[in-house]
Amino acid sequence: MLLFFFILFPLLLMGMFGYIYPQIPKSNPTTGSISTPYPNIPVSLIQMDDGKAAYAVAAQFIQISGQQGLFAVSESASYQAARDQLIQGNVKGIILIPEGFSDALAAGQPATVEVTVDETNPTLGSILQSEISAVFSIIGSSMSTQSIQRMAGDGVNPSFVMQPISVTGVPLISGVASSFQFLAPGFMALTVITGSLQGVATAIAREKEQGTMDGLLVSPIPHRSIIFGKVMAQTVRGLIQGFLILGLSMLVFGVQIYGSPIIMVVVMLLGTASFVGVGIIMTAIAPDQETAQMMTMILQFPMMFISGILFPIDQLPTWMQLIGKAMPLYYAADALRKVMILNATLTAIMPDVLILIIYTFLTMTAAIPLFERAMRR
Amino acid sequence: MSLQGSELASSLDGRAIETHGLTKRFGSLTAVDHIELSVRKGEIYGFLGPNGAGKSTAIRMLSTLLAPTSGTAKVDGYDVVRQANEVRKRIGLVSEKMIMYPRLTALENMMFFGSLYGMDRDKLRKRAEELIEMVKLTPFKDKLVGGFSSGMKQRVNVIRAILHDPAILFLDEPTTGLDPQSTQFVRDLVKELKQRGHTIVLTTHIMEEADELSDRVCIIDHAKIKAVETPQGLKDRYNTSSLLEVFLELTGRELRDSANERMPMRTPMGRM
Repeated sequence: MLLFFFILFPLLLMGMFGYIYPQIPKSNPTTGSISTPYPNIPVSLIQMDDGKAAYAVAAQFIQISGQQGLFAVSESASYQAARDQLIQGNVKGIILIPEGFSDALAAGQPATVEVTVDETNPTLGSILQSEISAVFSIIGSSMSTQSIQRMAGDGVNPSFVMQPISVTGVPLISGVASSFQFLAPGFMALTVITGSLQGVATAIAREKEQGTMDGLLVSPIPHRSIIFGKVMAQTVRGLIQGFLILGLSMLVFGVQIYGSPIIMVVVMLLGTASFVGVGIIMTAIAPDQETAQMMTMILQFPMMFISGILFPIDQLPTWMQLIGKAMPLYYAADALRKVMILNATLTAIMPDVLILIIYTFLTMTAAIPLFERAMRR
Repeated sequence: MSLQGSELASSLDGRAIETHGLTKRFGSLTAVDHIELSVRKGEIYGFLGPNGAGKSTAIRMLSTLLAPTSGTAKVDGYDVVRQANEVRKRIGLVSEKMIMYPRLTALENMMFFGSLYGMDRDKLRKRAEELIEMVKLTPFKDKLVGGFSSGMKQRVNVIRAILHDPAILFLDEPTTGLDPQSTQFVRDLVKELKQRGHTIVLTTHIMEEADELSDRVCIIDHAKIKAVETPQGLKDRYNTSSLLEVFLELTGRELRDSANERMPMRTPMGRM
């Protein structure tokens, strides 16, 4: 039952974050294609200029938007009317072709189009802005091409004049990197680490309540063997959970593995090991089981947000980044991501691996004597 | 089944258990106050006392589960603090909680706990089966222990404790809450174990049990020992045929009520 919750919750979270992850629309002005994460956004187009060019551009805008499924364009009589529509939420953006547009173009001068987007939704707003620019870029390109052909005849390649150097992105991986690809390793690391935080502590607590812990302590088995036994059980559990998340991610969200599963297992093992000690320490110093669970919760939630598994933490203020980078979750997720997406070798993720090893060493060194002391009081 | 080489002659001075000034303090509370215990080999030593007297704490110290605040204790000749592991090899514990895993069978439980003592697998299996037979649980040896009645569980609990043939056995209220048949069975088992040469420290509330089973009885109250004598000796001294009377005489008739303002501190890893 608990396992079910353990799997379902991360997947749910992954789903939520995956689907709301801001996607950058990709555009290619030369070929005239734009891919959008948000089809048919309602926008309002206002023509303040009566000139031929204005009409032509407006018509092209509507045509391209329709073709690419980008916008649902409606026309407004005035800026005020459009603004009201925007505030009401009926449209998400306003495109204004101002007076003097056609005259400027006719005179061989560049013209401006004014765009207003819904600033209450910054994500959508910035996507809208960039998509609108992209469409006008396409329109502009075809205008430039015509101009160049007019000026230089057939002997000149318009692309050479407009964009002598174009940049082609060469992806490291063959497939498409969706946001789920980014999230999945993070959630695997999260599952493994929170599991290790709670799992060992719970197992020990349960044995204590059951009375079997006494049976173990009264036998000649060294106490550290008891801890190691519990740790190993949790490690196996953690691996199974981690791979279950992976499997479900692959099935439901189309995540792919581009790297070595063996290295992934190694990283997950290190993730478990690094945090087991913390779990033991917390349970040893907490006055009761409930407090211990509360303490682990308090640690888990912020860790989830600032360790870079839901979103990259480079945008966070420096002090937050420092805290995030102090958690083993950051390194486990980072290593796992590199292996899964970029097919990193063990050597490539060595810094992460070393940090996890150091973490393991430090926390276990503190945990074992604390366990001893708690048991013999 | 004959004795299997338990080293009853391991200590030099012939005492199974010996304590000097054994004390345990929890913060400001003194649970056990400088007690001097002396348990002879092969005897059944009854440990009697009202609630909160310090019995369980004393047993936990002797069984190496709790570290004394001060004083020393030697079990089978070995110091409980400095030679704890040697002590553990030679003791068995039957505590108030059943020490067994509900989701394992009787035999699996026995095999698991036996393996903690480094016993050879085949020998262990044979001995486990013999002990299960001894307590008449053979038809249930492959059934999950979680489904057993409390009497059955206690029988498994006891044989688990003697798997490795310990010289000394600590029994903490072994018949409390059991049905009459199981109660009698356990008491007979205790007598049988004494016949086989085990030393037994028996904690109980049940006067007739202490009377019937103990060679000597130690009455403890308010962290101190009040008396150590044979049951008959105590009855003679206080001129009564009832051990209960002796007990009440020594410990008073007042009820020992207490309600802790503060719940006893309890980490999942140890009672504080």
